[in-house]
Amino acid sequence: MSVRDRLPSGHGNTALLAGIGCLLVGGLFSLTPLQAELPSVLYVFVEVGITFAIYGMLVLGLDLQYGHTGLVNFGHVVFFAVGAYATAMVAAQDTFSGIGLGYPWPLALLVGVIAAALLGVVVSATSIRLRDDFLAIVTLATAEIFHSIFVNFEGIFGGNVGILGVPRPIAGLVGDADTRVVATLLVLGGVTLITLATVTRLTDAPYGRVLRAIRADELVTRSVGKSTITYKTQAFVYGAALAGLAGGLFALYNGAVAPGFFTIQVTVTVWIGMLLGGAANHRAVLAGLAIIMGLRLISRFGLGVTPVSGDVFAALRLVVVGLILVAVIRFRPAGIWGDPQELGVDR
Amino acid sequence: MGLLQEAIFGVVTGSYIAIAAIGFTLIYGIVNMINFAYGEYLTLGAFVGFFTASTLPGPLPVAVVVAMAGGGVVSIALARGFFTPINDTGPVPMLLTSIGLGIAIRNAIRLFGGRSARYIETETSTIRFNAVPDAAVGSIDLLGGFFVTSEHLIVVGSAVAVFLSVHLLLTRTEVGIAMRAMGDDEDLARVRGIDTQLIRDSVWLLAGVLAGLSGVLLAIQTNVSPTTGFSHILQILSAAILGGAGSPYGAIVGAYVIGLALAFSTAVLPSSMTSLSSAVAFAILIVVLLVRPSGIAGTEVRKA
Repeated sequence: MSVRDRLPSGHGNTALLAGIGCLLVGGLFSLTPLQAELPSVLYVFVEVGITFAIYGMLVLGLDLQYGHTGLVNFGHVVFFAVGAYATAMVAAQDTFSGIGLGYPWPLALLVGVIAAALLGVVVSATSIRLRDDFLAIVTLATAEIFHSIFVNFEGIFGGNVGILGVPRPIAGLVGDADTRVVATLLVLGGVTLITLATVTRLTDAPYGRVLRAIRADELVTRSVGKSTITYKTQAFVYGAALAGLAGGLFALYNGAVAPGFFTIQVTVTVWIGMLLGGAANHRAVLAGLAIIMGLRLISRFGLGVTPVSGDVFAALRLVVVGLILVAVIRFRPAGIWGDPQELGVDR
Repeated sequence: MGLLQEAIFGVVTGSYIAIAAIGFTLIYGIVNMINFAYGEYLTLGAFVGFFTASTLPGPLPVAVVVAMAGGGVVSIALARGFFTPINDTGPVPMLLTSIGLGIAIRNAIRLFGGRSARYIETETSTIRFNAVPDAAVGSIDLLGGFFVTSEHLIVVGSAVAVFLSVHLLLTRTEVGIAMRAMGDDEDLARVRGIDTQLIRDSVWLLAGVLAGLSGVLLAIQTNVSPTTGFSHILQILSAAILGGAGSPYGAIVGAYVIGLALAFSTAVLPSSMTSLSSAVAFAILIVVLLVRPSGIAGTEVRKA
């Protein structure tokens, strides 16, 4: 039995149930005096797990865009960043610099998702017709432009400091540190699982088949009467909105946003995770992302036992990450669990 | 500072972007890939030049030549190792490979070269022209006194020399004519008996040499750190696309447009926002792709 067989697709309902379960348990921890105790060894795992849950939403959105529809979006971080900044600016109270409006956080989260989706509409309206590699360049350039806007307009976005004083709903309910991180992990993980269930429903439906048809051959898809531009725009905007949701949740978890959280490194991480796991397979892209983020754990633990500096270790990790991307494309273009025939990469 | 001075800075910036953009656009036209690792070739060239200049007591041109040779060797070795084997998989896998390779090289340089910025020390003489009258329009001074350093002259002079040699190469030599033929139609070129792999290799070599030169000029004129190449790749790419991807002459024009736009936006923007000028290059890039995707002279990049 190969590994691929153990990762079947179409288990959206399981993910939905698990997600709701996680949310309920997470809610139990936050709303009742129930406390969790966390051995300090596990703390780092939970912390990376929270980041994984947030990046998981990013990779699921990206997989909808690239894996299913074939849109090469190499500026995914910009939607993450816009969602996070919009949420932070609407919700923040007494920020050190930049704008903080101090509205309730659910409204802020909604604004974050809408802002990211709107940017997705603008980018796709202007660029979705470009050839694949040029779409990649435009999205990447968009991300760089927004990054320098966030850094440079200090009065609005707080410059390099970013927006501080964003309310942290879970931290506000739970005082105890151990319980807080466990509850955060459960809630964010639950949202990611529900996202997984939703995108699985979407791509298992006939709608998903049209998306995959566009990726396989756009001309043929158009010739059977599907408006490919509409479908591509929708897929792009869904992915952008998901990234906005991830960004908003990140802002509400982290309590602050700053340009340093939204570098091209985020885009690269989710891309490599997606390609390593196998594009167009939701569980596979999450597994691929887990492998890439697992490398962070290794470098964090390795740092303690080896006599080299953190900077050297970070550089080494990135060399390895870059070479993984190169090796995956060369030797296993469909990823570990991807279907080479379906992705049209078997040779 | 007058706008004239900014224009000089713009021409200098445009010059080293142009040298690199020629190499970038040749790779795009003939190998048919966007090479995102190309910026790293500049960094490598600059570091090779730097170490040559600091270890060998020879004159500066020696370091420049060594950097160019180093750039060429690196480029062809990377192409042979990473890009040639996946030549027929299409543009997106090659773009992604170059992104991965770029990350790996950038951090490898950081490992061995350290994070600090370095520059190649040269004896600089400055020529000042203070007699030029001011011609103020509003708050912006159109003329005004200006200065030119010997480094500026070296950079611009090298660029002009590169333009002439590339022009001669492409029009007068067997290899150059074959390159243009391949850029036009690869299948026809092969039918005509051109060894396409040999031409591809020579393009990689040429692009590497140009990147090495551009990098070492950067090291002479300003300074280089491991992230230098990456921070220039989008400008190089904008220049190449603005000029029409695949056209070396277009890339030269595009590079000077980008260089001048960067310099003027620095002059116009308030001092707290000068780093926003790098966004200007990307904004130009996006506008070009939306309004006239074929660039000043070039091919269609729109599919549907």
